Amino acid sequence: PCPEQARSYYVDWRMLRDVKRRKLAYEYADERLRINAIRKNTILPKELQEVADKEIADLPRDSCAVRIRNRCVLTSRPRGVKRRWRLSRIVFRHFADHAQMSGIQRAMW
Amino acid sequence: EKDGSTASKSTTEVASKSREDTAETPKQKLLDLIGNMKVEVSYRKKLQELKTREIKKQATNKLEGPDSEGSTLQQATEDTQRGRPLNPELVEAASAVASSLPLNKKQTESELLAQLRRHEETTDKQKKGGTINLRNVISEMAVKRQSPAQRGVRISSRLSLDLDEDGRRIRSERLSPQSFDSRRSLKVGRRLNIFTKASTETENTLKTVSSPTIWDLEFAKEIGAITAQPPRNGFEEMIQWTKEGILWEFPIDNEAGMEDDAEFHEHIFLEKHLEDFPKQGPIRHFMELVICGLSKNPYLSVKQKIEHIEWFQKYFEEKKELLKEI
Repeated sequence: PCPEQARSYYVDWRMLRDVKRRKLAYEYADERLRINAIRKNTILPKELQEVADKEIADLPRDSCAVRIRNRCVLTSRPRGVKRRWRLSRIVFRHFADHAQMSGIQRAMW
Repeated sequence: EKDGSTASKSTTEVASKSREDTAETPKQKLLDLIGNMKVEVSYRKKLQELKTREIKKQATNKLEGPDSEGSTLQQATEDTQRGRPLNPELVEAASAVASSLPLNKKQTESELLAQLRRHEETTDKQKKGGTINLRNVISEMAVKRQSPAQRGVRISSRLSLDLDEDGRRIRSERLSPQSFDSRRSLKVGRRLNIFTKASTETENTLKTVSSPTIWDLEFAKEIGAITAQPPRNGFEEMIQWTKEGILWEFPIDNEAGMEDDAEFHEHIFLEKHLEDFPKQGPIRHFMELVICGLSKNPYLSVKQKIEHIEWFQKYFEEKKELLKEI
């Protein structure tokens, strides 16, 4: 007997994959930063930088931050998501009209 | 019942009165009272002062160069503030009280004078003119009062007449913190400081089990599951969430969970971590740039910065052979 929605699964598989990518990106963030620091360098010898290139390519593909997509948290919509609320525009509008978003008001000027 | 009432009356008076000076004049009696009270209070306050001074000294020892100078300057200003000229009458009264007591006169006199100085400061701050020091002293003293429930408990316990050889009541589990109410108890009277406090901490640490067994853990989990009832209302739910860490603590503290006891110089002067690197060559140049960037980074803790440098160290050691070919 729960008044609100209780979610125990992710909305769809794409959201699950996005979650996995976020976790891996968090784990490998430091290493990627450091290896990139060696790569984007004019001081160190080029051979070192080539070795670093290979190393970073060997890391799992899902560990790079660029692959993360800011999806809507409730509907997993990849587009039209506002970053502050992590919600897609449709869900945001739904909640705002039902006065469930704190501090949000219909604009009128 | 009469004994009980007199005993309760004595407790409602100032707790520190234990001396039986047969001073004749009422003024002498008053002075003695004040002297007793002040000596008792100032002893505790002196202990507290000593403790705070020790803490301050430790703090100053830990700090280096410029920081210690600042703290010593602060202490110097505090000391100079206390050296205000006192009312000469008060000084005379303090000396009189000190001479009346059969104790170390200079010590008591200095303590009394310190007390007076503190009173002076507080009165100056509050800007109350014309109040007698006596009132300040008495108002500062915390009078121990009995609640009527406690009084009833004591009377009932007295009726049972379970006396020890010392005259103490046997039911002392509840009353041990209030053992002054019996006629002859061990805790009344000035501290003689003959014995030092026995260290009970070592005993407790020895009693802890080395490794809790699985059965103990299961038992503890069972107890936890039974005692943790579901929250009756929203407040209890919020309390539970705060304990678990789901909800932040309000008012929001931006530095919650971030301890960062390191000083600024540990963040900036990171060259000491560069000792294992070769002193010439491009690697040194590169690491110096890394350190320059880290010193400007306010978001990482000192440990994270050291880990960063150590990672680079490992990386370059692994690539040593490669580097030697070049």
